[in-house]
Amino acid sequence: MPDALTTLFAEILEIDEKDINDDISPKNTSQWDSLTSMHLIAAIETTFDIYLSTKEIAKMDSIGMVRQVLKEKNVTL
Amino acid sequence: MIGMTDSPLKIGVIASFTAEPLRHHINQIFKQKNVTKCSVEFAPFNQIHQTCYGIETAFEQTPDVIVLLWRLEDLIDSSVTAENIKETLHNLVSAIKYLRQHFKGTIIINNIIRPWLSRHDSTSIEQKSAFLAQSENAQIFANQLIGNIDDILVLDILSLMLKIGCDKAHDLRKWYLYRQPWSEVFWSLISNQTARLITAQKRSAKKCIILDADNTLWGGVIGEDGIGGINIGNDFPGNTYRDFQKQLLILQQKGILLAIASKNNEEDVFEVLDKHDAIILKREHFVAFEINWQSKAVSIQNIAKKLNIGIDSLVFIDDNPKEIAEVQSLNPSVTCILVPDEITSLPTIFNGLDLFDNLTVTDEDLNRTSLVRSEDIRKQAEVTMTAEEFLSSLELEVAVFKADEEHLGRITQLINKTNQFNLTTLRRTADEVKTLWQSPNTLILGMNLKDRFGDYGLVGVAILKIEKETAILDTFLMSCRALGRGAEEEFLKQAINISACSKIIGNFQPTLKNQLAKDFLQSQGFHFDNSKNIYVFCK
Repeated sequence: MPDALTTLFAEILEIDEKDINDDISPKNTSQWDSLTSMHLIAAIETTFDIYLSTKEIAKMDSIGMVRQVLKEKNVTL
Repeated sequence: MIGMTDSPLKIGVIASFTAEPLRHHINQIFKQKNVTKCSVEFAPFNQIHQTCYGIETAFEQTPDVIVLLWRLEDLIDSSVTAENIKETLHNLVSAIKYLRQHFKGTIIINNIIRPWLSRHDSTSIEQKSAFLAQSENAQIFANQLIGNIDDILVLDILSLMLKIGCDKAHDLRKWYLYRQPWSEVFWSLISNQTARLITAQKRSAKKCIILDADNTLWGGVIGEDGIGGINIGNDFPGNTYRDFQKQLLILQQKGILLAIASKNNEEDVFEVLDKHDAIILKREHFVAFEINWQSKAVSIQNIAKKLNIGIDSLVFIDDNPKEIAEVQSLNPSVTCILVPDEITSLPTIFNGLDLFDNLTVTDEDLNRTSLVRSEDIRKQAEVTMTAEEFLSSLELEVAVFKADEEHLGRITQLINKTNQFNLTTLRRTADEVKTLWQSPNTLILGMNLKDRFGDYGLVGVAILKIEKETAILDTFLMSCRALGRGAEEEFLKQAINISACSKIIGNFQPTLKNQLAKDFLQSQGFHFDNSKNIYVFCK
């Protein structure tokens, strides 16, 4: 079963869930541009009911880093 | 209705900031509303003027609707002076006017909001900064300028922002990260309002509110508490009912009809309407009364019949859940509203309901109540005469004319809300009507009707598409208020004459509501061509 974050990324990046991995980042994925980041932040905040500071947002430069930031904020995935 | 077309509605967005969150929200709302699918395309960021002046090539697909979102602070790059503000607003309005002339679809534009980041400098009234003073002037100026552009719809984001507050409406992180100023909550409100403006254009609106009396128009029961014992006035809870009546009065002045369906003795209710000091709505504000002990489902049908309007154009408000349930089960197309248990919510009961999103208020709207009442006098006259005597006693004056630009608003309104006497029921937006009006092969005719009881104003519309000697009767409709007087025959006769064509082709598109127009063309000398399913008239 993919976790909620995988589902969220798959939907917004339009990538198959099974191809989602922690290395995916704006550098290696063309559809992850700044507009996509904006949608991702909005979706993550709504889905997990959290508030992300710009420092935290700046750290989130790959799916792995997003996962880590959420873990630091005690979000269960 | 929009919901009946299959091609997706194309929305083009032009904004002075990143506006992409609109796509997600508006898609969701259209999905919920279960109307047509929509696609949303965005013009390049902060290029309002370039996009307006190059509208033909700005979008991949020509949009049906353009939503223009702007903030003053995005458009002023140099120092903020009164001169700069004026010039900026003038330039914006010129661009919008150019867009209006070169784009056929619907244009929606937001009203001005006060720049948000400047709030810190207003520490006291004496020290009110130049910028704040100027932004107040800018607000007045912008509203005047935008208000003067014809044929655009204004998206009232100022009210939305007041509703949730500046802090909740903005998201500074997104502004500094992505040049996107607003919060998800605010985007959701904006998208909702935008969808309302888009869908309201083609939907037939509610025409009449039927009200219970006790515990709906006032607190208490008149039959038990008496005129001195019911609650309406300046103190709680009477003040909530009084404010509710004020809201109803506003709607009545916009042309919504009011009626009463109450289980009471008639004289008790009339005593309140005629004599109570604090009452807002008096007897003359209502066009129909069903004050008796019969079922309200029946009363409501009687009112619809009396006013000659469809059951689905009615709103019914009552404090008794049993009455609501009964009306709802027998007349499911009536919109029923239960008086809220928290009575202080009563005056704002219509907020958020899109029942009365009637976009153009016309002179006929404003006069409708007095007209319907003279209909009463007319019906009383009718009883004592034969139909022919009645018709000739009316002193009917039918005037058919080619529509001028000033008539297009009323004509669009009739096209979108006339259900019963309407041969084709083709709905059209203001822009579509205007395009037709400008087309050389199309004749748009209006009919004014007067009789000795009153002036109905513009109540009939005919659209004829002319090809050489043949005219196709694209649209032929008459407001039901004007029916039953023989005016429709006269209207058709004159329309045929004005067209100067020797052959007229008509057709009848049956709907659930237009059965009464079914045999009209045949009765006027058209013969039915079975093979083509059309009616043909030859001079």
